[in-house]
Amino acid sequence: MMLLPILMAVQSGDDDSNLVARMQRRDPNALAELYDRYGRITFSLIVRIVRDAATAEDLVQETFLRVWNRVHGFDAMKGSIGPWLLAVARNRAIDYLRSAGGRERNALEFEEAVHPALYCDVEKELLTSDKVRRVKSAVEKLTPNHRQVIELAYFEGLSQTEMAERMGQPLGTVKTWVRAALKTLRDDLGAVVTA
Amino acid sequence: MNCNELREHYELYAMGLADEPEYSEIRAHLNAQCEVCMQEMKRTRQMLALLGGTAPAAAPSPALRRRILASVGGGQSRFGWAPFLAAALALSLFAAVYFGGRERDLANELARVREMNRQQTIQLAGINQAFQILTGQDTVVSTFGEGQPTPKGKVFVSPSQGVLLIAGNLPPAPRGKAYEMWIIKDGKARAAGMFQTGADGTAMHIQRGAAENTGAVAVTLEDEAGADQPTSTPLFAAPIRLGLQ
Repeated sequence: MMLLPILMAVQSGDDDSNLVARMQRRDPNALAELYDRYGRITFSLIVRIVRDAATAEDLVQETFLRVWNRVHGFDAMKGSIGPWLLAVARNRAIDYLRSAGGRERNALEFEEAVHPALYCDVEKELLTSDKVRRVKSAVEKLTPNHRQVIELAYFEGLSQTEMAERMGQPLGTVKTWVRAALKTLRDDLGAVVTA
Repeated sequence: MNCNELREHYELYAMGLADEPEYSEIRAHLNAQCEVCMQEMKRTRQMLALLGGTAPAAAPSPALRRRILASVGGGQSRFGWAPFLAAALALSLFAAVYFGGRERDLANELARVREMNRQQTIQLAGINQAFQILTGQDTVVSTFGEGQPTPKGKVFVSPSQGVLLIAGNLPPAPRGKAYEMWIIKDGKARAAGMFQTGADGTAMHIQRGAAENTGAVAVTLEDEAGADQPTSTPLFAAPIRLGLQ
């Protein structure tokens, strides 16, 4: 169900390079094309996190503006803008969730995690439908507890301590689940995600 | 801690969820350009991007695209009016056939569509001029009034094509008055056209023509007839740094 937007979103890394270069020249039409390419997938991710369409639209707008304002830090020749855009989107959505829930966040850590320069070497055609399908399959194969900790961490931004509280489990147990779940994903996705 | 001991913590670090001491350890390795850790972080970022792609599909409202483009001073693409005009003309044609015997109604409808068409052509020409400046290779942007209650906006200066002003929070001019834009060059002000704001306090004004060596763009409130030199304190002035962008 998510595959069509992804196919529409990411057809070519070369096109992304051109798009980034035009955004760096402050061409608003390039931002329009970026939105046409990634708007749905960005909205889908954010609405999955905040679970409210109106809030998600505000956060999508913030995401695209942030990318527009920081695109000069992105090297268009070295990677696809999609992974960076999704990292910014997740950051904005988790930040909103944590603020709304009165939870603390490490601003520096989040800022660091979405710095454009860090995404320059990411594979250009990463977000293909086939790869996303394989990641989805790997997540579905996890045990319920392992899948839950991954979803709580990725889609709700919970720390391991917060996950332990939410699930009513000892912190040590949750840490074991997190470690095991990530190892399973890492092993399953070795061929999909290569360093 | 060595890289192998950190192996299970890269994902949490990249998600902003790593605990101490692993967080500080990974950060130290990355700051030291540790090749193993940098490769692992690259792999981790790719995996997280793919995890984001697994969210169930959802569609935003069509208005969101317009909101985002408007927020960066863009708008509809230059071809955006064409379907609208085509639809209006098609509607007129349909009305002409359907109400074949009602020449007067048809004439009125055609006149209305022509007027709409004329207005939209004028708007389209303005938008095209604005886009030429916005997308000019030599265009520089200056923001004014940011963080202030009124007024605020952006000035786009293309030395070869002209100046585009987009402003908001600009109250309607009093009766008999209008806003006048000034191009400041070598300390001298040159009149660059009069304009009024919309009901919502927004304004877009274009001054075509060469604008080399522009030092600043300012706006004052003047008599409707305009002035050769500013007669009041500028409401705002945007400094222009040509050649620095």
